[in-house]
Amino acid sequence: MRMDTVIMGGGLSALTCGIALAKRGQRVAIVASGQSTLLFNGGSMELLGCVDGKAVTSPLEAIAALPAEHPYSKLGADRISELASEAHSLLTDAGIVMEGKADANHWRITPIGVAKPAWLTLSSHFSIDSLGELPCKRLALMCIRGFFDQPNGMLAEGLKGLGFEVDKLEFTTDEITALRRSPSEMRANSLAKRLVSNASLQRVADEINRLAADADMVLFPSVLADEDVIQTLKSMVKKPLRLVATLPPAVSGNRMQALLRHYFRMLGGNYLMGDTVVSGTLEGDRLTSVTTAKLGDMPLRADNFVLATGSFVSKGLVADYGRVYEPILDLDVDADADREQWTRFGVLEPQAYSRYGVKTDAGLHCLKQGKPIQNLRAIGSVLSGHDAIKMGDGTGVSLLTALAAAQSILATK
Amino acid sequence: MADKMQICNISENNFEQCTKCSICTTVCPVAAVTTDYPGPKQAGPDGERYRLKDPAYYDKMLKLCLNCKRCEVACPSGVHIADIIQSARMKAGEGKRASLRDTMLANTDLLGMVANKVAPLANATLGLAPTKLVMHSVMAIDKHRTFPAYSRTKFETWFKRHAQSRQDAYPKHVSYFHGCYVNYNFPKLGQDLVKLMNAMGYGVHLLDKEQCCGVALIANGLYKQAKRQGRVNAASIRQTVNTDHRTVLTTSSSCTFNLRDEYPAILGIDTRDVRDNIMLATRFIYRLIDEEKVKLVFKKDYQRRIAYHTACHMQRMGWQLYSIELLRMIPGLDLQELEQECCGISGTYGFKKENYERSQAIGSVLFKHIADAQVEAVATDCETCKWQIEMSTGLPVENPISILADALDVEATRQANGL
Repeated sequence: MRMDTVIMGGGLSALTCGIALAKRGQRVAIVASGQSTLLFNGGSMELLGCVDGKAVTSPLEAIAALPAEHPYSKLGADRISELASEAHSLLTDAGIVMEGKADANHWRITPIGVAKPAWLTLSSHFSIDSLGELPCKRLALMCIRGFFDQPNGMLAEGLKGLGFEVDKLEFTTDEITALRRSPSEMRANSLAKRLVSNASLQRVADEINRLAADADMVLFPSVLADEDVIQTLKSMVKKPLRLVATLPPAVSGNRMQALLRHYFRMLGGNYLMGDTVVSGTLEGDRLTSVTTAKLGDMPLRADNFVLATGSFVSKGLVADYGRVYEPILDLDVDADADREQWTRFGVLEPQAYSRYGVKTDAGLHCLKQGKPIQNLRAIGSVLSGHDAIKMGDGTGVSLLTALAAAQSILATK
Repeated sequence: MADKMQICNISENNFEQCTKCSICTTVCPVAAVTTDYPGPKQAGPDGERYRLKDPAYYDKMLKLCLNCKRCEVACPSGVHIADIIQSARMKAGEGKRASLRDTMLANTDLLGMVANKVAPLANATLGLAPTKLVMHSVMAIDKHRTFPAYSRTKFETWFKRHAQSRQDAYPKHVSYFHGCYVNYNFPKLGQDLVKLMNAMGYGVHLLDKEQCCGVALIANGLYKQAKRQGRVNAASIRQTVNTDHRTVLTTSSSCTFNLRDEYPAILGIDTRDVRDNIMLATRFIYRLIDEEKVKLVFKKDYQRRIAYHTACHMQRMGWQLYSIELLRMIPGLDLQELEQECCGISGTYGFKKENYERSQAIGSVLFKHIADAQVEAVATDCETCKWQIEMSTGLPVENPISILADALDVEATRQANGL
């Protein structure tokens, strides 16, 4: 089967790149090995959050000072602003409504109540522009009885630490109580499937209005399936209402993925869910086809290929007892040869492995035995030289490298 | 260090690979509508650890699993979650007898054979309100359901009378596993396949012995019978592949998935040696066109807007691409691929009185997508999805093979292929 471009991997970077290409009329196939880590996203994108342990206030300025091996440096610091605004529009076109600026970070609140710098946050979610200037004083933190995915105590303490007054208000409704029959399923996505009808939302709203009469703002766990449901609940609640991220798998991430995938399909893209690229055929400095587990002896041929297979958790990188490797084509990777260097004691310490990834040239082309493969570009978490956890640059690298790769593919035509 | 650690899986179903990420629980259509079902993570890999210690930990609510395999498709770690659940059900059901209702629903071929003989009577009777009421209360088959109409003439009978003698004259050949639905309910789909393959220069042949693939038998706990029939099919397929060197084509995604993957995974019938020779006709045809071995020429005045629904087992096989890409070759066909949602019928599941409401609740998301798509018909490769979508949306549902056959300019196609 022949495509213009085949994208290996199905997460944020793959979908972004696929949409950008399909929009320009390309025939694109995305091969997704199951659901991606986008499902863990609590509703924010980060461009650059932290450098050397210090919070970044202006990502655009800080990016200019990043070392040469960082993916942003490869794109060129002068292109970041334009790519960031293109990414923001693409998300908006897909129906993902987010707010934020590339030249000034705001603060998102993690499910355990920590404020972290962010570039874009869903408009319906709680965020703070400046820690020195809180938007209000008294928060009503709505706590659903028996709900697994919101550690209320930690969240409330975190918010208090930022200077808010917080009332933890526990509530339930008959529908929510019914969910507790299944002890393992009292999770965010299960709630999202039940809190849909106006009647069930009204019962929730009645509880909020009853309990949160004294608050300046109501914080509600992000367990609402879509924008319509959010707007309905907002209209029923007397106080301003914002959502707070829950522990993953997150409803917001699930929704973002569904919207991006729907947009891609509407543009005629082929999304092969639950399939995996197992090997590829190289001829000289080009990749001519890839074989997937399910399409079997009918390989996918294409002019261009994109590696968007993610990092260790998505199996885009694999570590065994001897080495770190890229499992499809055994591409060159940036990783320490000495296993002792991979990790260091203390799970919260900076870890070397989180910067590992495939080697690329300045045009994001993958390398094999030192030589670039001319029609294979790597994007997103599989790239080396960045650190989603310690630098807060994961989603930004995914979005921006995806768009840059799409531009470069379209330019080769 | 490596020699002291376990470096490969010791279970067939990969359950050690579960990282407890819970992603499977977000896609389970059953857990989405009922709290009675513990969800795929608990029912599958989590529960399996307990069941391995003591079978008494088996939870009878596992019967609510649709076996749609959406959990497996979603799993980023390759755990065969639904296979774990199916195997647990099978183990727990050993030695127990299935109810009369389940036996009747599961024996699609037996039911079909009897109904064919009295098709007008059966169709009229099965559609009558009093019959439905009796079936609802006595048999526990839901009164909202109408049995798919039975054809007067079996596909096999039609084939032997009207098509068989012409097939040897074609230069190339395939075998056809038609399945119960084509044989007893809807011979037209089989006729459409013959029309299409013949126009491309391929003769179509029946298998030496074909029995129901057994997908409904497995779902209803009749494992012994499923194994017996499976062995007959495996032998017939092996014969045509090895002796006649023919590929075995199918037109039902669930039969295909069952023959290729469930036979070895659930029934212990090893079909791996012929697995690559069993495939949906759309894959076979797509390949011939892709390799420029045949050409399809379509009518110039064909105009339709159709939505494609990916059946759950089709998604599990990952082959919807072939059906979609073939349909996109028809000029004048405006095709919209629907988001992949379960229709809720899952073979015989939705026919059972106790499952009816759940079945419709599961399907409601898909029905809304179909209504939003504003199409005149829906295409899908699964016959039970067809019944469910037709009943629930009122739109006609067609197999891609029938759409291709309908849009085909037969004479021009024959000429283009040198016939």
